[in-house]
Amino acid sequence: MGTTASQIGKDRLAEYQELTFLTKQEILLAHKKFSELLTKDERDLQNIRVPMETILTLQELKSNPFRNRICHVFSTSDIKNGSLTFEDFLDLLSAFSDSATLEIKSHYAFRIFDFDDDGTLDCGDLEKLVNCLTGETDDTRLTSEEMRQLISNILEESDIDKDGTVNLSEFQHVISRSPDFVSSFKIVL
Amino acid sequence: MASELQDPSGVYDYTEGSSSYPGEQQPLRSRRVSSQDSNQNYPQFNWNPEEDEEGDSGLPRELRSIPLPMSLKRAVRQVQQMKVPVVSRAESWKRKKTRSLRKLKDNSKEVLDAFTLWKKTLQKIGGNFGSGVHSYFLFLRFLVVLNFVSFFLIAGFVLAPSIVFRYVDSSLDNSNGPAECLEYNPNPKVTVFYQYFLDLLSGTGFMEYSYLFYGYYYNKVVANEDVTYNIPLAYVLTAVFYFAFCLICIIARMGANARVAVATGGHTIGEYSMIVFTGWDYSCLRDRDTKLKQKNIHYRLQVDLEEERLKKRAAALTLSRKVLLYSLRTFLHLVAFGLIMGAFYGIFLAADFSQKNTTEKGILGLFYEYLPSIVITAGNFLVPMLCDQIALIEKYSPSTTVIVALLRAVFLRLVSLAVLLFTLWRQITCDGNIEEAGCKLCQYNYNVYPCWETRIGQEMYKLTLFDLLINIAVLVLVEFPRRMVVDKCSCKLTQWVGRQEFVVPSNVLGLVYGQAVVWTGTLFCPLLPLINTIKFIILFYCKKITLFYNCRPAHRTFRSTTSTFFFLVVLLFGWGLATVVMVYSLSEIRPSLSCGPFRLFPNMWSVVPSSFYSLSETTQEFLFFIGSQSFSIPLFALSCVVMCYFIALASVYGKSVALLRTQLKLEGRDKQFLVKQIEQLGRQLHIPTHSAGCLLPVWLNYFLSASCVTSPETVSFDRSGFSRR
Repeated sequence: MGTTASQIGKDRLAEYQELTFLTKQEILLAHKKFSELLTKDERDLQNIRVPMETILTLQELKSNPFRNRICHVFSTSDIKNGSLTFEDFLDLLSAFSDSATLEIKSHYAFRIFDFDDDGTLDCGDLEKLVNCLTGETDDTRLTSEEMRQLISNILEESDIDKDGTVNLSEFQHVISRSPDFVSSFKIVL
Repeated sequence: MASELQDPSGVYDYTEGSSSYPGEQQPLRSRRVSSQDSNQNYPQFNWNPEEDEEGDSGLPRELRSIPLPMSLKRAVRQVQQMKVPVVSRAESWKRKKTRSLRKLKDNSKEVLDAFTLWKKTLQKIGGNFGSGVHSYFLFLRFLVVLNFVSFFLIAGFVLAPSIVFRYVDSSLDNSNGPAECLEYNPNPKVTVFYQYFLDLLSGTGFMEYSYLFYGYYYNKVVANEDVTYNIPLAYVLTAVFYFAFCLICIIARMGANARVAVATGGHTIGEYSMIVFTGWDYSCLRDRDTKLKQKNIHYRLQVDLEEERLKKRAAALTLSRKVLLYSLRTFLHLVAFGLIMGAFYGIFLAADFSQKNTTEKGILGLFYEYLPSIVITAGNFLVPMLCDQIALIEKYSPSTTVIVALLRAVFLRLVSLAVLLFTLWRQITCDGNIEEAGCKLCQYNYNVYPCWETRIGQEMYKLTLFDLLINIAVLVLVEFPRRMVVDKCSCKLTQWVGRQEFVVPSNVLGLVYGQAVVWTGTLFCPLLPLINTIKFIILFYCKKITLFYNCRPAHRTFRSTTSTFFFLVVLLFGWGLATVVMVYSLSEIRPSLSCGPFRLFPNMWSVVPSSFYSLSETTQEFLFFIGSQSFSIPLFALSCVVMCYFIALASVYGKSVALLRTQLKLEGRDKQFLVKQIEQLGRQLHIPTHSAGCLLPVWLNYFLSASCVTSPETVSFDRSGFSRR
């Protein structure tokens, strides 16, 4: 069970190289890791869909506080259960890769942070985001007073049109001023 | 396929061909949608690129930059391939060339990636210890490559020709000066067996008269049948070019960082949003690192919020308390300054003492030789610790404290090196007084320093070596035992001290100091860059070992890119110091009469003008013209004009940004006003507010984007679309 190009097919590989930001080695490595998640009979099937729990056993995603959101965002399943096909997995890795552009990364970061999937980041989204960042246990959460102060500061800084939410353009405006974002929004197998 | 994508309740609208953020050209219709209407969170893809105002020149948008799932990207590609636009042959040839060029660039990038030094190690470090430590190792790698490449420069132009021509012709032109000045006997008899080892450490004995130091190099112009090579000229020009090359490398590396740092402005703009939106590092692999990162972010947010509260409180301080605080701070600055001056005086005394007792032999002699380095290292260890204690009383905000501590440490390190050099200069030139008895004959102190350039080279060599030995000694004698003690013994004291933390700023200062020493010494010890390369490689592996075995990740992280910029600025300070030393040595002090390539010249630089006149007439005239006023004054005027243009451009951009922000705010308020009106209307017409609220933003945004507000009665609430009657 090696990772040879013949497993994916040369033209498929070229297609993946064209449609994602991944290099040939990275695509083959992704294929190998994905196949390890499947059972023996599943490996021969095409377009097999791996449930979210199995994906989350990957070392790179296991301890990421946004792992559930990441799976939901990249999943193309109709029942929205966060399961990923191999192509969804490649999309995930492409957005998190070294050579992905700032636009792609900021776009997907916005969708990951949008916990209620309504297209904007409102106070509820921001609060859930901050809790993910600081940890969910009681001693690592901010007090409600601090949370209020923080969210009002964030909205004051980023909400340009003062509608109480941060939309995609405002989010991308903040991101564009950060020099570290591209290098920290990275998952490499 | 197209219809299922043209979902009007699509959340994210994506227009093809926009090279800026899609959000900027995004119609406002996609701002908000209720969750029950969006059954597919797919970006609405614009299949008709001709509608786009910013029509792309011809090349279809790169497929991978489209934030769609793979299956949809394939569909887009098929559509693009089907829609073969009618282009001229030249156009299609150009497109093919661009595409193959892009493929070539991708392939070469893959190949170059394989050659990147230490790539996997750095990735592992970044994932486990954060971006601050990662930036330290990146900086170290940059210095290794810089030293290695600059060594090739020196080897190619100075070392190799010297070796070759030494075999060819081993006669030397002796200068005609007083006999006392020409005495130079660098090979004393070996008296004790461990003399070799001592010589290796201090650069004397068998090491002194070798390619390592200045004194060994030829002073003649080697002229074979068809090849003339002016070694003194090559030496000087290589040294100058080496400095210029290092400067260009540093500035090139600063370039990208500087643009970002200037563009983001001060750290106070958007600080909280920055931490929350960009603070998470997705390459954290283990549970332990995640928890640590979370603790880190929690700590940062708490500290920043606390700082804000403190600032608000400080702004409300009474006048008397403010005066008290500022006077306390001034006093503590003076105390810190006094500590640093004390360290300088100590170094000065040690260097003086060491120079006066160079005749001691054996271990004691070695100790005296290394005395300045020992005092410098002790000072660099003690004084920052004391300054840290002072900083606790000064009550600056945390970020200011870190910067103040760093600046003090930089000042200490670089100026201690300058003090050492100053002491040497005093002794070489008899306190600057050339007419004094010891210096009058040869215009330098020939008794103590028959070959003073080699002496300075030896000092720099000793500093470099000592730095490396101290680092290894600290690793073996302090860090490993500390970890073992903390792990085995669980008493309260050891737990309070805890495991070592990898402190990035002080380690970076060590690197900058080492590099400044190398720059200062290269003129006198041409092989020093090679020695430094080896030293930094050993240092890389030592630091890596101590990081993985002995350290716990730091509590406070350092913001990576702005700190990289800061490291490079500090490196430039070191470069500046070394340049001052080089310029002074080239132009002011008389080269030794008994050794080296410049013994015939009154100063090192004079070899350039004298060989200048051997160039051809036209070259001379051209170079004179470049240096003359008729060239430099118009050039200066032109650069002033260009600078004014850029300043004006920047101010115009700033004004338009402010204008656009106000416009956005006003539009938001318009929207809110209209929403209220619609709600009123809805109530009047007895439409349930929920569904009215759902459709409102879509409908409303369409109106706003059409920039025409009619009275609400003419609008129909049609679910499948929107129409105006």
